[in-house]
Formats: sequence, structure tokens, C-alpha cells
Amino acid sequence: MGIVHGDLMTLNIGPQHPSTHGVLRLKVKTDGEIIADVEPVIGYLHRCFEKHCENVTYDQVIPYTDRCDYIAAMNNNFGYAVAVEELMDLKVPERVEYIRVIVSELNRIASHLLALGTFGLDVGAFTPFLYMFRDRERILDLFEVLCGARLLYNYIWVGGLSHDFPNGFEEKIIDFLDYFEPQLDEYNNILTFNKIFIERTADVGVMPAEVAISYGVSGPNLRGSGVKWDLRKDDPYSIYDKFDFNIPVGTGTVGTIGDCWDRYYVRMLEMSESINIVRQAIKALPSGDVHQALPKKIRPPKGSVYKRTESPRGDLGYYIESDGSPIPYRLKMRSPAFTALSVMGEISSGWMMSDVLAILGSLDIVLGEIDR
Amino acid sequence: MSDEQTKLIQEAVAKALAGNMDMINNIEDRVTRSKAKAALVKAKREAKKGAATSEETPSEEIVQAESPPEKSLNQKVAEAIEKKFPASLAGDDVDGHIQLTGANWFEIAHYLKDNPDFLFDSLQCVTGFDLGIENDLEVRYNLHSMTHNHTIEIRIQTDRKNPKIPSVEQVWRIGDWFERETYDMYGIIFEGHRNMTRILLPDDWEGWPLRKDYETQETYHGIVVQKVKDGWE
Repeated sequence: MGIVHGDLMTLNIGPQHPSTHGVLRLKVKTDGEIIADVEPVIGYLHRCFEKHCENVTYDQVIPYTDRCDYIAAMNNNFGYAVAVEELMDLKVPERVEYIRVIVSELNRIASHLLALGTFGLDVGAFTPFLYMFRDRERILDLFEVLCGARLLYNYIWVGGLSHDFPNGFEEKIIDFLDYFEPQLDEYNNILTFNKIFIERTADVGVMPAEVAISYGVSGPNLRGSGVKWDLRKDDPYSIYDKFDFNIPVGTGTVGTIGDCWDRYYVRMLEMSESINIVRQAIKALPSGDVHQALPKKIRPPKGSVYKRTESPRGDLGYYIESDGSPIPYRLKMRSPAFTALSVMGEISSGWMMSDVLAILGSLDIVLGEIDR
Repeated sequence: MSDEQTKLIQEAVAKALAGNMDMINNIEDRVTRSKAKAALVKAKREAKKGAATSEETPSEEIVQAESPPEKSLNQKVAEAIEKKFPASLAGDDVDGHIQLTGANWFEIAHYLKDNPDFLFDSLQCVTGFDLGIENDLEVRYNLHSMTHNHTIEIRIQTDRKNPKIPSVEQVWRIGDWFERETYDMYGIIFEGHRNMTRILLPDDWEGWPLRKDYETQETYHGIVVQKVKDGWE
């Protein structure tokens, strides 16, 4: 900083811009049409999540986790519940574990649909966005039946769930999956293998695996760079070791490994894996009482825990320190979108101005989670 | 601090040391409560130190005689660090985490990343930490190796008045944002970081919000900041 570049122009994208997926400002330095540097400026949505957590009890934290990543609130609840349970050494009933996996995977599909739809929108494809939102709506309807909320569920609690499945809910999910599975082919026809879309995204914003690891990028973005790393398989939590599913990685089908198209396609393939997991889980769903293990008062013993789970955006970590009281002494959330956005400057220099939004869209960030 | 408060804190700490945490947790005033907790941590530490000095050699001999067959990862890492960078370990207790003094942290980080036995190529999380209003600040690093699939936690304490820790931003690139966030919340300066500025809060924010003794500023840009009520009504 402080150096004057005579022929570089600074351009601000945002804070209010339809393609920044929230309130994000990108300070872009351009040399004509070529990007010299991108510096993301964040913090516009900062709501002191971690400070709030030091003033509320453990169960009161859960609604805050909803509001961090409001696209995949189930997965955020899940990660937090798993972390606190590990701290308390609490075992939850089998039925709870299965329901948690089912709702998280459904939420993963919904989150990926939003990511892919808006990604298409960013590069100029309007129709797939409508198709994907139409189907995402059906998942949100299911969640509404389940817990009354469409986005902020507060459903997965420490030690259990807020409600059991309503009568006939399993059939509703199966109905949805039967409807949804053929839609994936439609998306592929309309967007994935569309020539214009490939032109805009293949070979653009290539992220080599070493860069991704050094920047702590995780989840579909890391897998898009060809690294086979998924916490559900490599460090299984809950009951993910009971299911049979594949981990799709980027292979550079239409361009280079780690380009925007690969990151897109990994998400597309992941949705069918999620369908696969939900089907297996519903088949094996045991009966039981979901409230049986709910603790009356959550008072973890002294100590700390760092627990990672696989959210749709990557490794979601919670660092919790307990001093033996009903209030967390320190709670830190390691947000996957935060690390994904930090790589933005590195992978977008050298590309054209019009590629910046394609690269940003392919990273699938949620500003609520970045700023917390 | 008033006499009454001091007396209350002493009483609560004495009870807590006997195993009853209720009195401390029931203190209504938040500041007093955190002061009491800080005093408790201090008291426990002193008790530990006293215990360690009173029974010197015998305990060590027992540990050596047992010699566990399989060393844990933490022990291996701690030994390697001790061998290569003497006097940079703080404390022998490597159960759960490794405590470093902060000296040579940049070089140690490089070593941990490049050593083929460990290959900690991914910095998972950097957590700032306040050990209580009369104690030090701390930074906790969670490292992870993609190749070996193992994790460790490293902790470094630093003085509250003048908090400084070497930056590892150039070892793991994500350290850049993580360290800026820690600086933002705790005011810990990472020496060698190339852009040590606030990241989530505005540049003109006063104070370090996640410190336990943080007090909200009275006005911000001429706007009166409303006092937050303590507890729920």
C-alpha cells in the first residue's frame, strides 16, 4: 500500500451490488480490462456473534448459528450441536442421528441449488436460476412442515431435536427425491453443458490445490481443485460412516482442474450423492424418542474442543471453551466462506474484468457467515 | 474495587477451590463475576506450581520408568520442537495441546509445515483468547495435515499490556485474515504481518471487543451508544 500506480484504476464493486451475494465490497485494481488485484472489504454484516455467545447459555446460541449461514442453517445447527455434545461427552439416540443427517443433506441440496442458480445468474443465465429456485422452494416447504420455519430452523438442539418427524413425512421426502432426481439432468442440459456457460467458466479462475490448501479453502471449492477431502469420509462425525457415497472431485472435464466450471460441477454431482445418502437414511430410519437425551441444563465440564463438520461451504469449525458454567467462556466459529473469500485476490489477478463476478459466484460465499 | 467486592470474590474463590462453582456463577454483577473467575484461575495455578515444586524428582522417575510404548502425536511434535528449537516450549504438559513461549514461532511454524513426519499444511483455525482480566492473552492455533490426517493445537501466551506474537501469515496464507481478525478482537499485534489492520470492525473503532474488560464506547461518530442491560428481563 502507499505506492502510486500511474496506470492502474481502482474500481469499487459493491457494497450494494446484485452479484456480491450480500453486502460485500471488492476493491478491484484494473490495468485496462485486466485485473491487477482484488481486495475484498468485509465487515458490513458484523453482528458480534462471538461476543453475544459469551452472554447467553449454550442452548440460546443455536438461533444465532442459524443467522450466520442462513442458506444452510441446519448444517450450522448440526455443527454446533456436535461440538457441544463432544465437550459434554453426550450420546444422542440413533433416530436423532439419522434425522440430523437427513435434514442436513436436504439442506445441502437447497444450499447448492441456490449457489448454482445464482452462479448462473452472475454469468448471464436467467432461466436455470428460476428452475433451481422452484425446486429449492419444495425443500423449504418440507422444512416448513417439519419445524415451521423456512430458513432459520433452530431445529437441531444439543442432545436432540426440537420436533420429531410429523406423520407421513418420510413419504413426502421420498416423493420429493423422486421428483428431484430427473431435474438434475434438466439442469445439466440447460446450464452445465451449455456452450455459452462453458465459455464463461471453463479455464477461468483456476485455483491450484496448493493455493487452496494454504488459504484454508475447503468443501466443494477444495474438491473442485482435485483434492479428495471430505470430513464426512475422512473424519466422520455423527453416523456418516454408515452410508455409502462417493466424493466427487474436479477433473478438468472441459478446461483445467480447479477452474470455475469444476467448482460448479462438483456441487452438481454432490447433490446426487446427497440424494443417495437421504435415501439410505430413510430406509434405515429407526424408531425412538428424539427428546430422550435432551439435557435439562447444559453445563459442559471445564475444557475446550475444536470440532469440524462438513457444511455445504466446507469445513465449519466451532472452538468452544467451557469454564464449567452454563455460559460459554469463549466460542469461535471458523467459517468456511471466510477462508474461501480470502483466496479471491490470489486467483482473480490476471483475468478479465468480466471474470471477477464469475469467480466470486463460483466460490459460493455467504456474507452472514463471513462477517458473523 | 470496594472491600465488599474483594471479600465476596475471596469467599467465592475459596468455595470454588473446594469444588463448589455455584457461588461464583451466581454472582450477579458481570464484572465481579469475571474478576472472581480470573482470581480462581490464578489461585489454581499457584496451587499447581506449589504442588510441582514440593514433590520434585520422585514423580519424574515414575514417568520414566513406565515409558509408554506408543508416543502420542503431541509428544512427538513437542520433542521435535524441543530438539530443534531449545527453550521454546512453555510447560511440559503436552496432553491436549502444546504450549509455546512465542519465541521462534515463525521458524517453528515453517518447520512443522515442511517436516515430512508432520506436514501440517493447513491452518484450520486461529482463536484469540482472554484468560481473565488480570491474566494474559492467548492465541490458539489448530493445525491439520492433509497428508497424514492428524491435528494438533498450539497455544501461545502473550502479555496483556503489550501483546505481540510473531506472524505466520507467510507460512499459511490464511493466517493473513485469521490474524487480522484476532487483532481486531483482542488487539494482539502479529509482528511481521504485512497488513495489520482491522477486518470486521470499522477502522476507527475504539477498544478490543472480545477482551473480558471491554467497555462499550459512549458515543460513536456523535451517536450515543445505548447501554446494554445486563442479563435478561
